[in-house]
Amino acid sequence: MSDPAGQDDGGGERAPGAGRIIAGADLPTMSALEVDFCVVGSGAGGSVAAATLAAAGARVAIVEEGAHHTKRDFNMQEAWAYPALYQEHGNRATDDLAILILQGRAVGGGTTVNWTSSFRTPDATLRLWAERHGVRGLDAATLAPHFDAVEHRLSIGEGSEDDVNRNNRKLWDGAARLGWNPELIRRSVKGCARLGYCGMGCPLDAKQSALVTYVPDALAAGADVYTDCRARLIETDRDRARAVVVDVLDRASDRPRGRFVVHARRGIVLAAGAINTPALLLRSKAGTGSGVVGKRTFLHPTVPLAAFYDDPIEGFYGAPQSVAVHHFAERAEGIGYFLETAPTHPMLTAMAFPGMGDAHRRVAQRLAHVQATIALLVDGHHDDAGGTVAVDGDGRVKLRYPITPALREAAIHALQSMARLQLAAGARELMTLHEQPLTIRGEADIARIADLPFGANLHTMFSAHQMGGCPMGEDPGRSVVDSRGRHHELENLWIMDGSIFPTSLGVNPQLSIYAHARLFSTEIIKDLPARPPS
Amino acid sequence: MRDVEAPVSPSRRRLLTRGLLGGALLVVGGALPLALRSTLVRGKPKRALLLLSEDEHAIFAAVAARFAPGDGAGPTWPTVDAVDCAGKVDALMATTLPEVGAELRQLLRLFESALFGMVFTRVPAPFTRLSPAAQDARLESWRHSRLALLRSGYQALKRLSHATYYSSPEIYALVGYPGPPEVPRGPA
Repeated sequence: MSDPAGQDDGGGERAPGAGRIIAGADLPTMSALEVDFCVVGSGAGGSVAAATLAAAGARVAIVEEGAHHTKRDFNMQEAWAYPALYQEHGNRATDDLAILILQGRAVGGGTTVNWTSSFRTPDATLRLWAERHGVRGLDAATLAPHFDAVEHRLSIGEGSEDDVNRNNRKLWDGAARLGWNPELIRRSVKGCARLGYCGMGCPLDAKQSALVTYVPDALAAGADVYTDCRARLIETDRDRARAVVVDVLDRASDRPRGRFVVHARRGIVLAAGAINTPALLLRSKAGTGSGVVGKRTFLHPTVPLAAFYDDPIEGFYGAPQSVAVHHFAERAEGIGYFLETAPTHPMLTAMAFPGMGDAHRRVAQRLAHVQATIALLVDGHHDDAGGTVAVDGDGRVKLRYPITPALREAAIHALQSMARLQLAAGARELMTLHEQPLTIRGEADIARIADLPFGANLHTMFSAHQMGGCPMGEDPGRSVVDSRGRHHELENLWIMDGSIFPTSLGVNPQLSIYAHARLFSTEIIKDLPARPPS
Repeated sequence: MRDVEAPVSPSRRRLLTRGLLGGALLVVGGALPLALRSTLVRGKPKRALLLLSEDEHAIFAAVAARFAPGDGAGPTWPTVDAVDCAGKVDALMATTLPEVGAELRQLLRLFESALFGMVFTRVPAPFTRLSPAAQDARLESWRHSRLALLRSGYQALKRLSHATYYSSPEIYALVGYPGPPEVPRGPA
C-alpha cells in the first residue's frame, strides 16, 4: 500500500499547496490514502463541497468515476461524447429501457454535459418540502446567499434574447400567442459562442461548468481529484463512516484494474448523483435503516413532440435551451409539467424518432426542419411515488420507474399543450414520438392524442434530471439526511447531490444542487478547527 | 386511452427471464433443434471483435441493416457495413459492465433463434436467413408486441442501430446536418 498523493504525477507547475488531478492509470494496483474528507463525485455537489472544505483547511480527496476531459477533447461528435461523458457510455436507462437516462460521468459530473439552464429552487417546491416532507429551516432566504455566490461564480446573469435560436424561438412565439408566459432562461456561461454543443462538453470553456470553476477552486485550495475511480463501498464503524473503497478503472476497458481505499478522518460527502448515491449506500448496506434509501426517485420524465416547419430550424446550432414555459407547472388536477426545447443533433434525434428503414429515414431527413419541444413532468408533488433505485446481487444498479395512470394523464395533457403551442407558432405538421406516431395538423387531431397508448416502450421518453432516493427531512423514519445533508444514522456522512430532494424540483436541477451543497458544506466548516498558519 | 400492457402468460414467462442493458430478455430455448439452424454470416468483421462472436456480429449487422435506410434511399446513403455499425457496437458494448455485454449477446442469439421466430411470427428460420420483408415482420412483431419484454428488446436493437448509424459523419449531409462548426483553437 502506498500513498498515491505522495508520487510525482508529472502534472506540470502548480501553485504551492495546490492539489492535483491524478488519473487512475497512475495509481498503484493497491493503494490507500488518509484525508480529512473524501468526496464521492465531482459534479455540482461534490465540487462545491470539496472547494468549501479544502478552503477551510481540510485535506480533501475527490474520487470521480469518470475521466478528466478538457476542451481540447470536446470534438462535438456524438459518437465520442456519449460513450466518453455519460453514465454507462450513454446506455443508462430504466430497467425496462422505457426511459433513457442522460447523466454525466466525467470530472465536472453532469455540469460538464448539461445545457446550462439555471433556475433557483422554486418557492412552491421549498414550501411543499416543509409542509409535507419534514424539511426544516430551508427557505428561499436561507438559500439566497448561496444562490448568489454560486450564480456569481458561474457567471449566471439575466436571460438574453440573443441566446434564442430558432428552435427556442418557436417555443417562445407559440407560448406568447397563447398567453402562457414564456421566460428567458438564465445560463451558466461566459463568452458563449452559442455553438450548440453544451451536451457534448464545451470546446471553448465558455460554459461555466464545475470543470472550469469549482473543481479548479478545489484544486487551488489543495484538494486532490482521483479520476477513473468508482466508489464501490462505504466502510462504517457503528455510527460513523470510515472509508470509501474504490475500484480503479482501466480507461480503455472500463474494468477495475486495482483497488484504492480512502480513509476519511472527519467525514465522507456523497455526491454521486441520485442514482449512484443510493446505490452506493444500498451496496454497502450502510445507513439504510430508514428503509427509504432508493425509494421516491424522480426523473422529470420527459416527453418530446416533433414539429416540422417549412423554414429551416437547425436546432443543432445555438444555445440548446434559452426559453422555458412554466404555465402548467402546477396543475390542480394532476402532475404538472414545464416546457423547454432539446437540441436536434442527428444521433439523439434519430434515436428518438420511431420506426426503422426508409420510413424512419424519411423523418430523419427533415432534421434541419424539426423543432423539438419537450415536456418535463414534475413528479413527486402529488401522491405519485416516482421510481426505485436498487442493486442486484452483483451490486449493479437497477432503476425501475413505472408509467402510472397519473403520469399518462400528465403526458397526454402535455402533448396536447405542446401541439397547440406549435400550431400557434406556425408549424406545418407535428408528430408524436409513438411507435405508431400520430401526425397532427389541426385542433381535430389534437383530440386524438387522448387515444394514444402510453406505457413502457410505446413512445420515446427520457430524463436528464435525476432526483430523490436519499431525501432530506427531520424524521429519520421518512428521510435519509437532515435538512443540512447530514445522514441520520452516520454522523459524519453527508449527501450533497440531487438525491436529497424529497420531490422533483419543477426546474432544471443543477443550480439547486450547487446551492444546497454550498449551504451544507458551509455548515460543516463551522465545526472544523481553525486552519493552521501556512 | 387504450391499455396495451398485457400480462405475460405463465407458459411464456418460462421462456423469459430478466436482463438486458439494465432491462430485458433472454430465452432458454437454445438447446432445442430449431435453434441449431445456423446463422448466415455475410461478411467478416472489419476489426478484431472484443465482445461479440462472429455469428453475433453478423446478427447485429443484419438487424442494423433493417433499421438503416433501405433500397428507397438510393446509393448515396452508406450501408451499415460501410459505416461498420456492428463493429462500433462491439467496441462500445465491450466497455460496458460485463453483465450488460452478456445480455446483449443473449438478446442477439434470442432474436436470431428459429424457435423464437416460430413462436412469434410462425416462421421457423434464423433471422439472418429470412427475406428482408420477413425480417421486418419479425422486428415489427417485437416492436408492437403485447409483451413488454419484447418491446424492450426491440428498443435495445433500435437504439444501438440508430445510434451507430446516425452518429457517423458520412450521413450528416444526407440528413441536412452540416456537422460541427469550426472552433478557433488557441495555442496549446
